[in-house]
Amino acid sequence: MESVIQVNQLSKTFKGVQTVSNVNMNIRKGEIYGFLGPNGAGKTTIMKMILNLIKPSSGKITVLNQQVKSESYQYLKNIGSIIEYPVFYDRLTAKKNLEMHCAYNGINDYQFVKEALEIAGLGGVGNKKIHEFSLGMKQRLGIARTIVTKPEILILDEPINGLDPIGIKDVRELLLSLKEKYGMTILISSHIVSEIESIADTIGIINHGKLLKEVKMDEIRRETGEYLEIYVDDLEQAKRVMEQKLGIKQYETEGNQLIRIFEPVMTHSQINKAFIMNGVEISGMEMKVQHLEEYFLNLIKKEDQYA
Amino acid sequence: MLKLMGLEWSKNHLSSYFKIILICIVGIFGATVLMGWGSRTEGEFMFVNYADYMALTNILIRIVFMIFAAVILSRLVIDEYRSNTIQLLFTYPLQRKKIMFSKLAIVFGFCFFSIILATAVISGLAYFLNPMIEFFNQPIQVSDIISTIPSVLLSAFMISGISLIPLFFGMRKKSTATTITSSVLVGFAINATVSDGGGQTSLFQFVGIPVVFCVIGLLIGYATFNNVNKKDLV
Repeated sequence: MESVIQVNQLSKTFKGVQTVSNVNMNIRKGEIYGFLGPNGAGKTTIMKMILNLIKPSSGKITVLNQQVKSESYQYLKNIGSIIEYPVFYDRLTAKKNLEMHCAYNGINDYQFVKEALEIAGLGGVGNKKIHEFSLGMKQRLGIARTIVTKPEILILDEPINGLDPIGIKDVRELLLSLKEKYGMTILISSHIVSEIESIADTIGIINHGKLLKEVKMDEIRRETGEYLEIYVDDLEQAKRVMEQKLGIKQYETEGNQLIRIFEPVMTHSQINKAFIMNGVEISGMEMKVQHLEEYFLNLIKKEDQYA
Repeated sequence: MLKLMGLEWSKNHLSSYFKIILICIVGIFGATVLMGWGSRTEGEFMFVNYADYMALTNILIRIVFMIFAAVILSRLVIDEYRSNTIQLLFTYPLQRKKIMFSKLAIVFGFCFFSIILATAVISGLAYFLNPMIEFFNQPIQVSDIISTIPSVLLSAFMISGISLIPLFFGMRKKSTATTITSSVLVGFAINATVSDGGGQTSLFQFVGIPVVFCVIGLLIGYATFNNVNKKDLV
């Protein structure tokens, strides 16, 4: 699939502190790319560098086959964005804010403004001034503003912050429909893993300014899913049984009692029987499901251990 | 560029400032007329002629509209940084230098034209009302007014340049209060008069000083829009 945003060896240093370190990303046309990471991981800095609001210390960013240089600006007409929290001109109405946005983007036809407000669930409040809006309404208006010019790419930094559960569901459905209907490419960051999990095609996990993993959701679903957790009295003997008698290769151990088996081929009774016959006592056995959240936390934990 | 200036104009409702300009003009005229009229009733004319009258009026016009320019500067530039809307503005497919230049051009133009307007309106009012109220002694000739046009244009230009100096202070703290306070200080420093009892003088009367300040203001404006591509918006 064609690449829309490419980031190569991107680094940023602020006052001697490296906040983004050799990041490589590849966002393909028409996909939703979920950017996951704890607060302060460097997500916003990378997004700002893509938008040319922050200049990289080194590395290269390419958007729609154009390299972003310090004076580049024309490529921005293809991008709708919310960074950190949406800001507006408080003295203007919601509708006027969107019209201004269109005008600054060189669009003089404001027909889509009304529709964008309706899509964002703000159909009835277009003539209200921004200072009368709640945080959730501002988030919705921010989303309306990003789509009002029908850009090819959306860059959304934590767009569900401040939204109620209905609002979160609406945004999720809206993003999926924008992808389906207009073929928009969406880069969305969040620290709420479950939200990303339900919509993203590709996930980029970032911590301490380093991209730990860039992986397709399909692969994560294969890697996560169900696994068997067994507590045994003799871990070494159990490992020998698994490898030599049962031929299990995909497993991990924790402490001196816990084994996690990721291979779905064995039944509980087969494993149970093999362990008992080889002198391994089982004190507990349970089927578990690993979600993206655990996958994410495990990755972050491992990185923190080696950092 | 003109389209950008138009967008800035309507976004900030700058037309509504014309009402305030008119109030300022009426205020300055009213205050100076009262001074002249009041002194006359006490038997001593405060202003002898039109030139004398305009010497004080011009000082007030310069100070008032320098502060006014700082208010516009705060609204157009400082507020954008303070409320972070500059981040939104810089994600538009527009040259950032042009965006900044259009903002500074509005401030410069606003200051320039409001000084010209105030001088013209007050001169006109003085021409028509002095024969009735007589707040200075000698009658005004049209030629008196026409002869001041070059110096009015020049001083309006210089004050407009000087009005960009508060940008330097305001941008450091992204503060409206700092911007306006610095404009008050610069305005008074340049225009305030000192007297030894016989004659009186102000820094603005030494041609070199307003010229140097104007150049400094223009350089600050240039540096602001020239740096706009290099600085990170954190």
